[in-house]
Amino acid sequence: MSGEALLELAAVGVTYGHGATAVEALRGVDLALRAGEVTLLLGPSGSGKTTLLQVMGCMLRPSSGAVRLHGQSLAGRSLEELTRLRLRHFGFVFQHYNLFPTLKAWENVGIALDLKAVPREDIEAEATRLLAQLGIGELAGRFPSELSGGQKQRVAIARALAGAPRILLADEPTAALDGRTGQEVVRVMQALAHQRDCALLIVSHDPRVEEFADRVLHLEDGRLARRSRAEDAPCA
Amino acid sequence: MRRPAPVLLPGTSLLAWRNLSHDRTRLIATLVGIAFSVVLMGAQFALLIGFARTASTLVNHADADLWVVPLGTTNADIAGRMPLRRRYEALSVPGVASVDEYMVQFAFWRKPDGGSESVIITGFPLASGRGGPWAMAAGSPADLHVADGVIIDRLYRDKLGVHELGQVVEINSQRARVVGFTDGIRTFTQSPFVFTTHARAQRYTRFPEDQTTYLLVKLAPGADIGEVRHALAERLPWVEVLGRDEFARRAQRYWLITTGAGAALLLAAALGLVVGIVIVGQTLYASTLDRLAEYATLRAIGADRGYLNRVIIKQAALSAALGFGIGILATGLLVLHSRSGNVAMALPLWSVLLLAALTLFMCLAGALVSIRRLTRIDPTMVFQ
Ligand SMILES: Nc1ncnc2c1ncn2[C@@H]1O[C@H](COP(=O)(O)OP(=O)(O)OP(=O)(O)O)[C@@H](O)[C@H]1O
Ligand SMILES: [Mg+2]
Repeated sequence: MSGEALLELAAVGVTYGHGATAVEALRGVDLALRAGEVTLLLGPSGSGKTTLLQVMGCMLRPSSGAVRLHGQSLAGRSLEELTRLRLRHFGFVFQHYNLFPTLKAWENVGIALDLKAVPREDIEAEATRLLAQLGIGELAGRFPSELSGGQKQRVAIARALAGAPRILLADEPTAALDGRTGQEVVRVMQALAHQRDCALLIVSHDPRVEEFADRVLHLEDGRLARRSRAEDAPCA
Repeated sequence: MRRPAPVLLPGTSLLAWRNLSHDRTRLIATLVGIAFSVVLMGAQFALLIGFARTASTLVNHADADLWVVPLGTTNADIAGRMPLRRRYEALSVPGVASVDEYMVQFAFWRKPDGGSESVIITGFPLASGRGGPWAMAAGSPADLHVADGVIIDRLYRDKLGVHELGQVVEINSQRARVVGFTDGIRTFTQSPFVFTTHARAQRYTRFPEDQTTYLLVKLAPGADIGEVRHALAERLPWVEVLGRDEFARRAQRYWLITTGAGAALLLAAALGLVVGIVIVGQTLYASTLDRLAEYATLRAIGADRGYLNRVIIKQAALSAALGFGIGILATGLLVLHSRSGNVAMALPLWSVLLLAALTLFMCLAGALVSIRRLTRIDPTMVFQ
């Protein structure tokens, strides 16, 4: 069921600092995110999950190994080039939603559309359409402070979907939500990823997320250990 | 102070406007700071321009194309002397249409009820009227035909102890009668101008009858001012020939520099600018630090540095526009109020535009600290 590889990591290593104080946060990580596939990344604290997310999200350049986006190597790209790639290919969902508190729900989505150079006159309609897809169309005119946690996370997901990126990276998207709400949010993300043929990677501690994942990866001490959810083969 | 929110589509303008308007207290503090700085700068400019105009008021209003002045003249109020026959020498120069003698000389004014003041007697030929009083409020220059007649300004009625037409005073122990009032002719030296005929001015100041202080030259139609000026300078010894604007500027420079007024005013204006930069810088930086996580999120979802900078710059520019609006209004009221006082203030359009440019500069300079901070922002901080 897995489609083309959108993002590939080959033998990626990240070392923070150098000399005696150097920390190897990632070692020899091989990983591919495929279209239409939901991946859950688990791992104890300090295992390197955040670091891996930063490398995959083109925010951090690895110390060794290679990252390929749509088959193109990212080696030697400048920070501003990486910023442009983030804009074009990625949607991000954060643990604490990271909505702009002074903007209404639809305007939060609108900022992402504006960044992606959607024509000005289409922004409001497109933002409202995305919010409606997440079941909160009627809340478009509210400020984040007037929304519940689950509603905020839905706005954030709508913002991540703006401009139809193929890769979605979510960092602990349910950690700030109660169990049922968290489950609902992940269900929506999974459905959208399948429907839009996106690669979705979720970093989470939440065991209830597992049931929505097509595969589960374990990170331990910077190394990837695969554990298949179902009958998934041990090799990509 | 609830104003209708402008209709803005999502983008840097909306972020800038909302960042400002969602923080009322800080916005008010910023606007008060900017307005204060605008008033500070504006008042200094208005005083400086008002002083400059006052310092050259005789030159500006005497309606001469060229001034013939004694060598070494630095301003119109403190005059040297020259023989009156220079007038006939000047008249013989081709291109000269008319030449009028013009007296300017300090004297002592004795008030009707005792006490004395220093005044500047200005004497002009009644026949041509050139160099005479302008802006008459009561009486007219023709009333100077009355024996011992003089004209003073209403602004100095108390100072000179004269409140009605016809009152009699003494100038250098000689009788004088006030036959007219002008309206708003200020003096820079604090010695009020007293307008009278050239002959009477000579008499009051005990000036030799065959001498005067200045000659006012009008050109014949079509005459080249440069050529006439050159010819006059060649023809007349021991004098200097100046264009009107040139003499006005020389007088302004002299008074503003020798009194230190120019430097003091410019220093105060510069201080206003610095205060403004610090206030804008402080409040904008505080707001930027508060919203650091939002700027990091913008970077993470793909905004480049320019996008973040535009948000900051638009905040600064918006603050500048609003603060300038308030500040220039207050300055305008101040200037209007000064019309009736002893201190002249003037705020011509060019100085308003200069103030606007300085305000914008002030806000952009204040924004630099925030912009510098944002170039170091790390989008990875959005993941924990
Ligand atoms: N900027 C940094 N400088 C130095 N060391 C770092 C830095 N960021 C992370 N580390 C180290 O790298 C290792 C991996 O950190 P990372 O944040 O990726 O773990 P994590 O799995 O996200 O942990 P948690 O579940 O607690 O968020 C840790 O040992 C951490 O101390
Ligand atoms: Mg982490």
